[in-house]
Amino acid sequence: MADALHTLSAAELGRRLAAGTLTSRALCEAFIARYRTVNDKVGAFTHLDEADVLAQADASDARRQAGQGRGPLEGIPVAIKDNIAVKGQPLTCSSKMLAPLVSPYDSHVAERLRAAGAILYGRLNMDEFAMGSSTENSALRKTFNPWDLARIPGGSSGGSAAALAAGLVPLSLGSDTGGSIRQPASHCGVVGLKPTYGLISRFGLVAFASSLDQIGPMARSVEDCALLLDALASADARDMTCFGPSDRALTPAGDAKQLRIGIPKGFLGKGVAPEVAAAVNAAVEFYRAQGCAISEVELPSADLAVPTYYVVATAEASSNLGRYDGVRYGHRSSVAGTPVEMMTASRSEGFGPEVKRRILLGTFVLSAGYADAYYVRALRARAKIRAEYLAALAGVDVLLTPTVPTPAFKVGEKASDPLQLYLEDIFTIPANLAGLPAISVPCGKSGHLPVGFHLVGAPLSEAKLLAAGRLFEAAHGFAHQQAAL
Amino acid sequence: MAEGFDIDHLAKLARLSLTAEEKALYSSQLSQILGHFQALAQADLPATIDDARVVDEAALRSDAPGPVLGAEAVTRIAPAARDGQISVPRVVDDES
Repeated sequence: MADALHTLSAAELGRRLAAGTLTSRALCEAFIARYRTVNDKVGAFTHLDEADVLAQADASDARRQAGQGRGPLEGIPVAIKDNIAVKGQPLTCSSKMLAPLVSPYDSHVAERLRAAGAILYGRLNMDEFAMGSSTENSALRKTFNPWDLARIPGGSSGGSAAALAAGLVPLSLGSDTGGSIRQPASHCGVVGLKPTYGLISRFGLVAFASSLDQIGPMARSVEDCALLLDALASADARDMTCFGPSDRALTPAGDAKQLRIGIPKGFLGKGVAPEVAAAVNAAVEFYRAQGCAISEVELPSADLAVPTYYVVATAEASSNLGRYDGVRYGHRSSVAGTPVEMMTASRSEGFGPEVKRRILLGTFVLSAGYADAYYVRALRARAKIRAEYLAALAGVDVLLTPTVPTPAFKVGEKASDPLQLYLEDIFTIPANLAGLPAISVPCGKSGHLPVGFHLVGAPLSEAKLLAAGRLFEAAHGFAHQQAAL
Repeated sequence: MAEGFDIDHLAKLARLSLTAEEKALYSSQLSQILGHFQALAQADLPATIDDARVVDEAALRSDAPGPVLGAEAVTRIAPAARDGQISVPRVVDDES
């Protein structure tokens, strides 16, 4: 039985734990055994404190025995992207800048998971400071796509997606600034949800681009994703954008067969691989056959999304990453000199190439003489993109597109061409710019590689996205899929 | 709007020290990326901007002291500390 536990959903594991046919210790021991045999192949985790996991599991089992179980996540492991603080665990953002750091405090989501009885299970690899779409920018290790170990898992939450697809954990947390939950979810054949901006507190999330960043749940099924989302959404005064749980977002929506689905004009054309277009078109036809109303919608400024995003995100990143000065935490250079020389040397030694590239770009678009031409125009373009999305969503419930134009590419294939990598996010970026909830749901394969479709909804329409995803996954065989390793 | 930029000036503003190879690489890549941004220069855009929030339910917290990490936790993660304080290179010269 222990061998099969990694194939089960979190919901099913929760039922077995509640029924007393499984203990959290037995479950965690099974996942630790799998970690020992599989993680080196996939590279999803950068750290796992086995003794701490088992101590948490024993505490969970004791609570349950005492009749003090804390709900459906009690005793279930949840793995966490390495930019989300968990007290006593490494917080490195997969960067040499922070590699020795152990977090002295819990993020809000870590507090929520502890309050729900979940096991805070290990640290997941990512692109350095969440900057990237392939997890190749990690300074700590490589992560590979479990479906094809020669390919990238996507990014920046590549470890979060790969861990699920490899059966290393039933649930994980990612963060999403331009698609960093949804793009790797699509490439690894799992479900990833970016919530409405403000639904989940970012307290304890290392900031990349604060007007875009969101933490979100990842799982192998829509049902499990919803389970984790419910535990995370909660008011928190430490993140001034966080408005807390919303009945509108979390209450199960009505009949998904009644949904009106908009297909953005032109999104399935240029740049989308034929197999991806075929899988997504099949999903559209499925919804049509279920009774959903399908219509075409116009998003005329969609082409502005990628340049707008890369101006706004890099501008905010260059500001946010100004805090890494080698003084209070993180890497300090041994180069002697003035404080400015020490800061410059520390930053130059600590940051990797993509982070430096984005800091330089963000510094430029904010610099005197250029800020109006780049940063302010990008903010105006962002307002236009948001207005167009909200207008489109006034006429339909969700917008359906591919999550990513092409399946996972080979490791190293795009490493020397940052612009090509930036275009990976073309379908996912607008939801961040507009603050909208969005989900990637597995819908097929291109050869042996997973393909996902992407749903975007109006603010606080998470329940609709989840209902639409459930309708699809109930009729198809993609939920709970795992790569053979 | 994609006129040239001074990579040395940018690196100084960003507090980064770049090798000659890095300067050449980043100059080339930034030029390419800024070229892609030209679409923004040509677009017909609204005059107004708005903030990032889509749900107007967030509120400022009360301006009251809350829990803090404390000196022990803070100095434990600092690169260098002495006597409960973070150490840094000398900022002010003896004669100044």
